Amino acid sequence: MTCREAIGHINTVVRREMHRMVSTPLYFFCILVAPLISMTFFLSLMREGLPKDLPIAVVDLDNTETSRNLVRQLDAFEQTSVYIRTGSFSEAREAMQRGEVYGIFYIPEDFTVEATSGKQPKLSYYTNSTYLIAASLLFRDMKTISVLANASVGLQTGTAKGLTNDQIMGQLQPIVIDTHVIGNPWLNYSVYLNNTLLPGILQLLIFSVTVFSIGTEIKQGTSREWIQKGGNSLTVGLIGKLLPYTLLFTLVAWTLMATLYGYNAFPLNSGWGPMLAASFLLVIASQATGVFMIGVLPTLRLGLSFACLFGMIAFSIVGFSFPVLAMDPTLQALSTLFPLRHYFLIYVDQALNGRDLIYSWGEYIWLLGFLFLPFLIGRQLKKALLYFKYIP
Amino acid sequence: MKREYRLRYIIRDGIQDMFYIWKEEWKNVFRDEGVMIFFFLVPLVYPVLYSFIYNNEVVHEAKMVVVDDSQTAYSREFIRRVDASADVKVVHVYPDMTAAKEAMDSKEAYGILWIPSDFSKDLHQGRQTTVSLYSDMSALLFYKAFLLTATEVSLDMGAEIAASRAPASTDQAELIQIHPIPSEAITMFNTQNGFASFLVPAILVLVLQQTLLLGIGMLGGTARESNRFNSLVPISKHFNGTLRIVMGKSLTYLVLYVLVCLWVLVIVPRLFSLPQVGQPADVVLFMLPYLLAAIFFAMTMSGFMQTREAPMMVFVFTSLILLFISGISWPKEAIPEFWRWLGYIFPSTAGIQGFVRINTTGATLNEVAPEYRILWVQAGGYFITACLVYRYQIIRCRKLIVQRYWALKKMRHNIKI
Repeated sequence: MTCREAIGHINTVVRREMHRMVSTPLYFFCILVAPLISMTFFLSLMREGLPKDLPIAVVDLDNTETSRNLVRQLDAFEQTSVYIRTGSFSEAREAMQRGEVYGIFYIPEDFTVEATSGKQPKLSYYTNSTYLIAASLLFRDMKTISVLANASVGLQTGTAKGLTNDQIMGQLQPIVIDTHVIGNPWLNYSVYLNNTLLPGILQLLIFSVTVFSIGTEIKQGTSREWIQKGGNSLTVGLIGKLLPYTLLFTLVAWTLMATLYGYNAFPLNSGWGPMLAASFLLVIASQATGVFMIGVLPTLRLGLSFACLFGMIAFSIVGFSFPVLAMDPTLQALSTLFPLRHYFLIYVDQALNGRDLIYSWGEYIWLLGFLFLPFLIGRQLKKALLYFKYIP
Repeated sequence: MKREYRLRYIIRDGIQDMFYIWKEEWKNVFRDEGVMIFFFLVPLVYPVLYSFIYNNEVVHEAKMVVVDDSQTAYSREFIRRVDASADVKVVHVYPDMTAAKEAMDSKEAYGILWIPSDFSKDLHQGRQTTVSLYSDMSALLFYKAFLLTATEVSLDMGAEIAASRAPASTDQAELIQIHPIPSEAITMFNTQNGFASFLVPAILVLVLQQTLLLGIGMLGGTARESNRFNSLVPISKHFNGTLRIVMGKSLTYLVLYVLVCLWVLVIVPRLFSLPQVGQPADVVLFMLPYLLAAIFFAMTMSGFMQTREAPMMVFVFTSLILLFISGISWPKEAIPEFWRWLGYIFPSTAGIQGFVRINTTGATLNEVAPEYRILWVQAGGYFITACLVYRYQIIRCRKLIVQRYWALKKMRHNIKI
């Protein structure tokens, strides 16, 4: 087949595929509606960046001007909101079990008197780590207020002794830790999660659509005709078939990039180029993986199950919530089989940290490497397409 | 009155048909490998896989490099203590920041601790000194490990230094000077702040609903594909009433899923020692409406599935949305009103909230009463919608049969002429 012929065949297959696409509403749903729903959902869910006003219970057994003042200060923190004040700890714990509060701040009896007379009353704060994000945010606020309380009493006694502020702080807390979080200084969860979650959903949908588009040919018994239109070449047939989806999904992926880094102004320290390239490569790498899936299991329902299960596992194994390095070594190796993993590593280097391309080129190569997958399975896929009889 | 119109006989036939349909559906499930994947393989393998992924619960030995501009006994002691902690490992100490940044760029480390040149001088002279922590934000858990460890070491060492600097008459007086108000943090229920204990129980409950959606949707799609009139209801005298169909089918799923629940909610958590402090009776009582709601919800949705593959294309990506809408990771107070209301459509929202609180925080049915009520309302509501879906299908099917009958009759008439 000459180049010109090949292009002609590709053209025919592309036209044929466009007809199939517009006559099946499922494609419309998976390519446009589902990504749009996901984008709207996740970006609006986390639009505040951090959850605000998380409810806590305060058990104030002291109930003096000082303790009430302390509670007021705690309430004034952005993440914390005092939901109930109660005199009994078990009441607070029940509120926690009812899911009404995520933390309990406990002020012991005679707190004020003991604090000023040097009897060291102890403040306790409890967090419900069943809700990890809420718990860690409340932990931070309640810890801060406890340290502040400690400092303010220290300041009072210190000033009474005639020490300067510097001296007192040097005594109360000789070493302080000053944190600089690189790339995401506000600890914005939207930045943290959506940069990987949304491309992950895209990957899942690309897997399914690719498997579906090839699998239905077998199911409907039209695969022979498809291959013939492609000049009896699987490569030409596949290119023609997948090209419309490549274009559409790239468009969706770039819309996502524009939404993340343009509209939402998430950190983009690398400039647009590296991320647009990475998201395009994610699209074609996922398509190639999809071809591999239907090649391994050339029955639509099995291939599609494979795509769905693999696509769902990606969210956990990619390591943006729980780091891959903390997983079992087998899983660390397994994680490289997911295009999303490499996309995630590129994102961290490029958009988040703005590192030199030299540190990420390996991941770009990995993504390109997925394009070899269809060749591994080509012979079996072609056999399935030509001779496989669909068994309902 | 004809025999078949008497209520007694209608009920008797209905129950007989219900068991017939139950048996038929049972066969359908086991004949279909696609359905078997979602009813058995996924509930069997997924929970194990997720537990395996998150099994280490917390990050240990997060890699960090240090830039020590102070190079004194104090700074070395500080580094030694950070390294000695369980969560952080100091992989290298560099003399300057450029080298440390390079180490971070090439992923040898995920954080930098910078100890300033006058660290030791400040401490000796009783001034407050600042140690800077730089953290890569690719993994929040690394950041958390660095921050907690560095803070812990700074407080401990700070207290010791302050005590040695201003020796008070007694140990007690010393403590009072440094810590006029001590405080303690207590982590409840998921005591080691573990990731698996936090996320896996929610995933387990979600898996139940999603596999039901996929499996039942697939059965519905298959029924339609193999039906001459593209209808959910086969042409058979046993399938002659809405109630018997809905109840017969749901009985199949319920019996199967009681077994699946046993594995997913009892055995898997035990295998991976996830928290499990709920009263068994409460768990059972709570899961019953959840399963019913999920089954009837899935049966309702299956009415809209034209092909057997459609459920996989439509429902799988929603799992993530449903996990977040449940309020386990993103607190429910911070979920925008609209999404919170939308969440009430799905049994998983109340199911996850309630189950996690019973299972992990030891709540009783009393404490999850609102969720429990929602689930029963959903079970009732979706039972009605499932009945409507099947009712519609029966009527449509009958109409089509009658139409076909007349068409055939007309054809025969025409041929005769």
